[in-house]
This record gives sequence, C-alpha cells and structure tokens, in this order.
Amino acid sequence: MTGIIRRFGGLAGMLAVVLFFAINLPETFLTARNWLNISQQVSMLAVVAATMTVVMVMGDFDLSVGSMASLAGVVAAVLFVQEVSIPVAILAALGVGLLGGLFNGVMVSLVGILPFVATLATLTVFSGIAFVVSDGRTIFGRDIPAAFGDFARGGPQIGMVDERALILPNLTLVAVVVIVLIWIVLEQTSYGRRLYAIGGNSEAARLAGLPVMWLRLSAFAFTGVGAALAGLMYASRVASANPTQGDGLMLTAIAAVFLGMTLTRDGQPRVLATLAGVLVLGVLDNGLTQMRVDSYVREVLVGAIILIAVGLSALGRRGLTRRA
Amino acid sequence: MPQLDLDTLGRRFGAVQALDGVSLTLRSGEVHALMGENGAGKSTLIRILAGLDRPDTGAMRLDGNSLPLANPVAMRAAGLRFIHQELHAVRGLSVAENMHLDRPYPRRAGLVHWRKLNADAAAALARLGLDRLDPRRPMTDLGAGDQMLVRIAGTLVGEAGAAPWLYVMDEPTAALTTAESERLFEVIGELVRQGAGVLYVSHRMPEVLRLAHRVTVLRDGKHVSTRPMAETGQDRIIEEMTGRSLSGLFPERRSDILGETILEVHGLSAGALRSADFDLRAGEILGVAGVSGSGRGALLRAILGELRARAGEVRLDGRALIGGPAQAWARGLAYVPRERRSEGLMLGRAITENVALPHLGPLARAGLFLDPRRQAGLAEEQGRRVRLKAASLTQACEELSGGNQQKVLFARALAGGPRVLLLDEPTRGVDIGARFEIYRLIRQLSDEGLGVVMASSDLPELLGLSDRVAVMRDGRLAEIVTAEGLSEAGLLQRFYHQDGRENAA
Repeated sequence: MTGIIRRFGGLAGMLAVVLFFAINLPETFLTARNWLNISQQVSMLAVVAATMTVVMVMGDFDLSVGSMASLAGVVAAVLFVQEVSIPVAILAALGVGLLGGLFNGVMVSLVGILPFVATLATLTVFSGIAFVVSDGRTIFGRDIPAAFGDFARGGPQIGMVDERALILPNLTLVAVVVIVLIWIVLEQTSYGRRLYAIGGNSEAARLAGLPVMWLRLSAFAFTGVGAALAGLMYASRVASANPTQGDGLMLTAIAAVFLGMTLTRDGQPRVLATLAGVLVLGVLDNGLTQMRVDSYVREVLVGAIILIAVGLSALGRRGLTRRA
Repeated sequence: MPQLDLDTLGRRFGAVQALDGVSLTLRSGEVHALMGENGAGKSTLIRILAGLDRPDTGAMRLDGNSLPLANPVAMRAAGLRFIHQELHAVRGLSVAENMHLDRPYPRRAGLVHWRKLNADAAAALARLGLDRLDPRRPMTDLGAGDQMLVRIAGTLVGEAGAAPWLYVMDEPTAALTTAESERLFEVIGELVRQGAGVLYVSHRMPEVLRLAHRVTVLRDGKHVSTRPMAETGQDRIIEEMTGRSLSGLFPERRSDILGETILEVHGLSAGALRSADFDLRAGEILGVAGVSGSGRGALLRAILGELRARAGEVRLDGRALIGGPAQAWARGLAYVPRERRSEGLMLGRAITENVALPHLGPLARAGLFLDPRRQAGLAEEQGRRVRLKAASLTQACEELSGGNQQKVLFARALAGGPRVLLLDEPTRGVDIGARFEIYRLIRQLSDEGLGVVMASSDLPELLGLSDRVAVMRDGRLAEIVTAEGLSEAGLLQRFYHQDGRENAA
C-alpha cells in the first residue's frame, strides 16, 4: 500500500500541478501551442538532465555541466567569428565537451577524487576557460551565422491553429533524440546495466569482475557531451554566446533527476523519470510565469516543491524499511 | 569425478602460524564440513582456496595437476565458486541481471536480449528447483535467503564444459532465518545430487551433523582429523575442536565477594535481541556467549541504547537509561565496539584525538576551547593504564598493531571513569601477546569495581575471564551459568541445546 502511494503519489502530484494551472489559466495553459513552447523551453535542461542521469545511476554526479555548456557555446561562437563552417564549429564544441567529460572521469575514477570535489574544480576551470576564450564578451549579431540562429526558431510544421502555423521546434526534436539514445544506453545495453550494478553495489560489481574504473570514467563522457550540446542549443536559441549563459543548468538538472527518482521503484535514477522531473520543472516555470508570479517568488516556490517531493519520498522509504 | 588435493598447506602471519601443514582432499558429490574455533585456520584455508592468499608451503592439485597459487582466476577456472555470508547482491537490478553480473548479458543486435537473459536465468533456477523465483523480479523483493539461492543459481547460468563443481560456503546461514536455511539445505542437496561438492564452513553444529558426509576439524592451524560422519558426532567434534589447555593465558580469578548491583536489565528486546534479563554487580565479569547471529552483539547495543528498546528497561545504579548512547556514556557506560576499524577508530588521526573524542566537552577550557595539553595528558594517563605501546601519542592509529588499536579504544572507554564496560569481541584479530595484556587489564578493571559485560565467540576467553556466562540462543538470553567448573564442551553444548532438540523432533 505504502509502495503504491509512494510510486503513484509523485505522479498524482504532477497531475495536480497541471490541473491547477489548467483551472487558473483556462485560455492559454492547455493549448498545443503552450505545450510545444514548454517543450522547447525545457529542451536544453532535458538534454543535460538525461546525460546527468547516466552518472547519477552510479551514485556520482557532475557539477561542471553548466560551465561546460557556456564553454561549448563560446567555443562555437569564437569559431564562427573565425568564419569556420557551422558543422565544423559544432563538432569542435562537442569535442570540447567530450574531452572535458573524460577529464572529469579521469579525476573521479583513476585519480579517485570525490565527484563533488573534482567536478566543482572543473566547474571553475571550464568557466575560466570560457571567459578566456571569449575575452569575457558576449558574441552576437553578425558574428553568429544566420543559419545557426534559425535552427532553434525552426522546425517541422505539424498543423495550423488560428491561422498560425504550429511548429514542432527543432530543439525539442534534438532533446527527444538524446533522451531516446540515453534510454537505449541505460536500459537496453549491457553497458548501461553495468552502470546500474555499480550504483547498486559497487563492491558486488568489483567482485564480479566488472571493469568499474573504466565504466565510471567513460560515463562522464556522456555528461560532458550532453552539456556541450545543451550549450549549443542555448546559443542557437538566443543567437549569441557568453561565458555565463549555461550557469543555471547544473542545479536544475540535478533537481530534475532527484524529482524523477521519487517516481521510480527503489528510488533509482531512470531517464524517463528524469524526463518527468524536467517536465514538472518546466510546467511550473511556464505556469507561474503566465500567472505573473514574481520571478524571485517563483524560485522559492520551485525550491519548496522539490523539497516536498523528495522529502515525502524519503519519508515513505523510511517507513518501508522500518516495516521490513 | 574431479578431486582437489590440498597438500601440507602452511601460512604464517607474523608470529602466528595460521595454517600448519594442512592436507585435505575435496571431492565432488559430497558435503565436506570444515570445523574449528575462531583462529583455527578456516578463513586462511578458504582464502588460499580462493586464490586470495599465497601459502608459504604446500601445493594444490586438481586431479593430480598442480594449480597456480594465489591466482583467483585460475581457481575459478578450476571450477571453484565461493558463497559468502555477506550477500553481494545488487538490489536495484532484477534477479536475472544479478545472475549475469560476472558474465556478459546475452545480446541481439548490440542490445540486451531480455528474453534470453530471463530464460537463461529461469533455466538455471529450475535446475535447483527454484522455479518459484521469477527472474524478472527486482532483487529487493527477495529475502536474504532467496538472494543467496539466486547467487548460487547464478553460478549455473549458461555453463557448458567447465562447469563449477566445488562450492565453498563460508557460514552461509549466518544471516538467514530457519526457514531460509531449510531452503538452502535443499539446494545444497540438489547440487550434490547433480555431482557438485561442497566445502561447508559453519559454527552451527546441527547443520553440520545433518549435511556433512565428512568432517574435518582444524585446531590452532593444524589438521586434527578428517572422518566420515558415521565415525564421529557432536561430542567428538567438540572435543577435537577444543582439546587444548589455555590455563596460563588467564589471570587468577579473584576470590573476594562482588559488590552491589549496578546494572539491571529487565525484559529487554531491541533489534535482533528478543529478550534478556540479568543483573550485573560491581566487579563482576559477565560473559555473553552463543553462536554468531544469536544476538550477542545486539544485547550490548541494546544496553547502550543504540538499538531502541521495543520493550523492557536498563537501569544503571537504579535509575533507568532512556536517553540513547549519549546519555549512557555520560552516566558511566562505556562501549568498545566489535569493528574497531569501522566503528571505533578514526584511523588516520592521532592516538590523542582518538582517546579524547567522546570527552572533548569536559576537557575544553571554559567549556568551549579545545585544550590540546589536557587532551594529551588524558591520553598519556590512560595510555599508561592500558599499557599502550606506541612511538608517540601523535602517531596515527592506522600505524598501530591490532592489539594496540584495541588498547586505544580501551583508553577511550576508561577516560570517562565508567562504571560499566561493554566489550564486543575484545580480542578479535589481536595477537596472543596483546591478548594476554587485554585479559589482565579486564581483570584489573573488574578488581577496581567496574562491571564488565563481554560478548565473545572465543570459548577459552569466556571461560577464563567471566564470573558468569550468559548463553544467547536465537536472540534470547536463554540461561546464565557460573563459569567456574564449566568446560568448553559443556558451554558449546548449551549453544545448541535448543537447536539440537528441535532437529531431533
């Protein structure tokens, strides 16, 4: 019984949030246009949170994703200034993400620094490099190729509402592809299952002869590339890049994974649950903004809701263990 | 029919000859019990079998061919599998996934082939008659017993050719309930019927009497006997396990009269402890005995208040203790835990800090500021009292021998001027010299009027030090017997008293 409440309590809470906004914003909230809008707003968060799930599955986390996102955007923009072609600039930015992620992996897995400390340090390092590379300036306007900025605004048309085209944003599509990919990696490959084994009982994983070190190291590559991709998406959306624009992503992404964990059996991180967490945060942000709730008050509300969800889940779990 | 010969294996750790020329033959198709007291050499033998430790002398041969020593991969390839009492299960993964931890998942087009994964697991479970376990269930849903059975079944997944044939089980029932143990025994029976051999290590006599075809007894690292079950029995095994004299190790029992009652425990139940009643008088040493898992440690933790009491009470000097460990320490209970490395010491820190840890408040200047000189003074005074041997009091505890680490914990316990000492396995992993000093210290403290409650798995220690011995059975304090005149065999028999009857019925 407690299990059912715990498992579906979170879902019920989410539905309550949606219902609340649907009642208070009858005109605008439950429209296709608004939901497509939400999907675009959360697409970058979704990419970071999905890749964050890969390391959180092992009980690790990566604090450097925000500054990596900024760095990747800046790197691409600087290359644009040098008139490098769009595909090459994108590949270079993703390459930076891969290298940064692997560097985190080496620090955590081979050197053996706690993920909190290692990625806190690389957070500063990546952020510093982003300032150095960009000279501390925002790169925008004619320096950014039009095609790059247009990508985020475009997307396949899926219908007409009130004489206006309904567009499925490209950024949403990118996020969907990433989530499907991460879902396959985590749920359908033995690689992903090994990561879950490490998170569940690293001692058992070691005794079973799994290459724990390499698995941990490689998993950090996902967060690096994911963060870089999110940085590019952001740069495309605002058609500019500056060395701090990804900073907000890290805490929200970790919060989304934790919210998702409250929905799963055993409280494991799973990528579809993470997606649900991302949507909750996106819906809250969207709804509260539309209700003209002050943005500072909004932050207090969102933080409180995360505490309540995770707190209730922790209490439920404690109840379960006490019974057992 | 494979056969593994162990030939005159010897292993020395420092001054201790842990294994002394032990020869043994393990065959498929039978359960071979390995018996011996703590320190008899069982664990060393198992570590050598697992390839985790290199014997100083001797050899291992599989069907006459020499096996490389200290090579875990080779021992695995030779068909040995090890089932330990600690479960190494990944609780979040499914049963089938747990059975594939040490082998590749079946794959199709690069992705996990879930149907085959589950089918392989189901087939392996079925071979042991465990059809009732659904391979898709998460491991969390299973009890400790079923998790162990899954672990055993996991060794049978997809094995063709070099199938495992010898299972080494080290106290497999330690964490299991009676019903779970029953199911394990059925599975062991099934394994043996299918031709596997089992080396079964357990302290639980009834299990051994029931399962084993042959019994080997080790004592002090030496091979005492290997006999078919028909030629031996409980009395003979116990006699062979304990047949030694250790009288010189223990200080003279004092003859004076004990003081007034200081600790009263009434109807206490908490955690694994189901019930306990006793009084402890000043100057008395009460031993707490019983097989592992009988609730020895839980009794101490319940007295300390670390396990919250479901029922009953603990009174110190006539006043009830209700405030948990902090109040217990403040009122004069001191506890020396069983796992000194994980529960006792800050290994990387200096002796001084370790001794002063629970006493920082009273030692502080003006109740606020740490006073390193007072701390050092305390550590020095108590260190002398427990005959601590260290280069300096600033030495980190991890550099000390096991015996001296234990003395640091004693110094810490004594620094607060306690009335009652709770000791859990006070000489575990301590060499014989330090052991003797710890015995003298315990005796001296009781002479000074402290009450001592000492849980131990070491029979000579219980009998040599205690005034009375409380026997734990199945979570209950079953009886308290006077140690004077009690023999090891007599005490050991009391461990099994009830179990023996149940099995006879």
